Amino acid sequence: MIEKGKISAQQMAIMMYPVIVGTGIISVPAVSAEYAKNDLWISPLWAALIGFVAVYIAFQLHKFYPGQTIMQYTEHIMGRTLGKILGFLYLVFYIQMNGGGIRIYAEFVTGVLLTKTPIIVVISTIVLVCAFAVRGGVEVVARVAQFFFPLYVLSMVVIIVLLFPDLNYKNIFPILADGLIPSMRGAIVPGGWFAEFILVSVLFPYLTNVEKGRKWGMISVFSVMMTFMVTNLLILFVFGETTSRYLYPLFTASRYISIADFLQKLDPVIMAMWVAGSFIKFSVVFYALVICTAQWLNLSNYRPIVFPLGFLTILFSIWGVPSKMVESEYNFIVFPVYSFFVQILIPLLLLSIAFFRRRRPALR
Amino acid sequence: MTRIWRKLKSNKAKKTLAAENAIQVEGSLYESLDENLNKLQSIYDECSDVIFRHFFISGKEKALLIYIEGMTNIEEIDNNVLSPLMQESEVLINDVKTMMEKKVPVSNIKEMKTFFDCVQEISVGNPVIIINGEKTGFSLGLSKWEKRSVEEASAEPVVRGPREGFVETILVNTSMLRKKIKSPVLKMHSMQIGRYTKTKVVIAFMEGIADKTLIEEVKNRLNRIEIDGVWESGMIEEFIEDNPYSPFPQVLATERPDVVTSNLLEGRVAILVDGTPFSIVVPTTIYSLLQSSEDYYARFLIGTAIRWLRYVFLVISLLLPSLYVAVITYHHEMVPTTLLISMAASHEQIPFPALVEALIMEITFEALREAGVRLPKQVGAAVSIVGALVIGDAAVSAGIVSAPMVMVVAITGIASFTIPRYSAAIAIRMLRFPMILLSGTLGLLGIMLGVITIVIHLCTLRSFGVPYLSPMAPTKLRDMKDVLIRAPWWKLNTRPHLTGEYNKYRQSSGQKPGPTKGDEK
Repeated sequence: MIEKGKISAQQMAIMMYPVIVGTGIISVPAVSAEYAKNDLWISPLWAALIGFVAVYIAFQLHKFYPGQTIMQYTEHIMGRTLGKILGFLYLVFYIQMNGGGIRIYAEFVTGVLLTKTPIIVVISTIVLVCAFAVRGGVEVVARVAQFFFPLYVLSMVVIIVLLFPDLNYKNIFPILADGLIPSMRGAIVPGGWFAEFILVSVLFPYLTNVEKGRKWGMISVFSVMMTFMVTNLLILFVFGETTSRYLYPLFTASRYISIADFLQKLDPVIMAMWVAGSFIKFSVVFYALVICTAQWLNLSNYRPIVFPLGFLTILFSIWGVPSKMVESEYNFIVFPVYSFFVQILIPLLLLSIAFFRRRRPALR
Repeated sequence: MTRIWRKLKSNKAKKTLAAENAIQVEGSLYESLDENLNKLQSIYDECSDVIFRHFFISGKEKALLIYIEGMTNIEEIDNNVLSPLMQESEVLINDVKTMMEKKVPVSNIKEMKTFFDCVQEISVGNPVIIINGEKTGFSLGLSKWEKRSVEEASAEPVVRGPREGFVETILVNTSMLRKKIKSPVLKMHSMQIGRYTKTKVVIAFMEGIADKTLIEEVKNRLNRIEIDGVWESGMIEEFIEDNPYSPFPQVLATERPDVVTSNLLEGRVAILVDGTPFSIVVPTTIYSLLQSSEDYYARFLIGTAIRWLRYVFLVISLLLPSLYVAVITYHHEMVPTTLLISMAASHEQIPFPALVEALIMEITFEALREAGVRLPKQVGAAVSIVGALVIGDAAVSAGIVSAPMVMVVAITGIASFTIPRYSAAIAIRMLRFPMILLSGTLGLLGIMLGVITIVIHLCTLRSFGVPYLSPMAPTKLRDMKDVLIRAPWWKLNTRPHLTGEYNKYRQSSGQKPGPTKGDEK
């Protein structure tokens, strides 16, 4: 096998959590609020359904083809030529997705932190760091995720607790004033992110306890959903109607914290969380991309292509998106559909073909 | 390409082996004493400290006594070897062995057949007797040399706990371990390393507690070492590490027998080297490098608090200067206004940017620390006076550095001294400099990236197969009881999980004491 490391199902769950939360937490309240108004806290419920479906599809496919990643069984299911074409589609999708994600991260960093730094510096430094982690293999990525996960959760809890004095609980009313439709519309963009849970199909072959893979995948989806719900509620309580006007609501909210004139200006904490979370997200996606590329090209070792693919990611990140305006338009209009198509519909198609082939093995 | 490289490599290896063969002493002892004498004298040519003493057993049979001056107990030889043999009336030529058994009151006598054995025995200080007409020589365990008495472990002092530390003599060190662990389960596998120094190295482990594959791995790695000489465990350390390019120590070096004992009982393996008080314990994790033996002797609440203090100051010693540089250079908005004003005011007079200022001060501090360690004790007072001037008021009033920077450097210095293991502390101290450069170029983002890179590196590290950050990453919740907190002794029921199979329980559970404990049942 191309990867010698092994991880546990719990480690997989901890790796997948930042893949969605890492970049999502900073902007998801604003996106949901735009459509769902003050029902934005219900939106993650609908969006998470897509995540559950993705984990289910990945697990069923892995049951049909144990020990194989999505790249390998695509060829088994669709045949060699069609499988390679489909595989290429995945590679392009993930490299673009990662590039886009890194662009969001870089826009945030240059927007609020290092206003005069060229964006290419911010992008290439994070890709370099991710490449180091990916070169270490799946074990290292998992361990880094495990190391930062408690700090991530802890700082989030601290922010939430410290915001308590600024909360206005009446902002939640009226609940479901216009029915369920607005909250569902608010779930479309986060749903596109939840679809990224199909990435577990790359990690399943490296699990020591595969039978627990589905359970922990589901737990991971559930905790992402809870995180988004809590964050959305928090933002709603702080900003009320005006939520959708902020680009980075959680970041802005953290500036409200001021306790005893001493505990204030906690935005560095949010910033650190954001960098650590996005780093893990990019590393996991980058790792999946590297493994898939190596399998697509039938390489025996994936380490030599880490840096070239990193370079390609930088290019996609810079040239793929001309400006911040285009970036947010792409993220809110194109990406959800694109993501749903590639990460849910195609695997679903694969699953159904595999299912029917399994029922009539005589055809093979 | 790789094939050529391999060929070159194997050639090199052959050359070193040939060099070793050239100095090998070969052949077995001759019957004639004169031939033996000639051969040994040629071996010990120009060795003025090797003494050849001719004598006659009971005035008839020629014999030869060889020893190294200063490494042998001469009084014992005179009284217990030479005088009984020389005064013996009837000589038992036919059976020299019985003669030695009957007449020489020395507890440790070994027979030798070859010159190689002779040289070995003479080298460690045991006198050797060769008798004319015999192909067998005898070595007498009468070595005695000057050794330092057992003193307090100076590099790892404790307030409460055993005071004794290892010494340079390995026999004393192993006896100290044996005194602590009286069970025969404590094994001591002995071997020699060093082509010329022939240094005795002992691998100590608890059979049935330490993983067998781990013991084999330690033996294999030590056997691979091919070197002229070894006189400090640090030399061995560099040969057996998993990642030689890491700044972090991947073994635990300690001079405290109690630390070695507790590690042995946790299933680790200790390597003791003759000639140095520092022994090596493998495998190790970063957390055991942050623990002091006193954590386990103090009350557990205090032990836990001290441990957390150490974790906090570890972060401070790594990050404080770079955080200061980042805030003063890029992120003014992150400091409360009053503090910012006083910081900016003091920094206004300084001709350097904060980055340069921080680097100057940190390097000066490191130089002072190093000077303090190396200097003779009599000059030490001068260093502390000069140091107080350099990192202190004079530097500020001269307008070279700002007062907050002096504070930062001082706190960082103190913080780095809270790390109990010198080798771990120095790694953190060195990593501070790239962190300062990163923060000077990319601000807080640079610091975050630097921290992430360090964490990635720590996650890739392994010490004899054990992940360096375990039990934090990969997470083993059960082992957290000795990392996040120092659980009370009656709760430390399981040994930490290292590699492979292991002996899980170290004591029975439910030993929590209480006033009614004795009355139950």
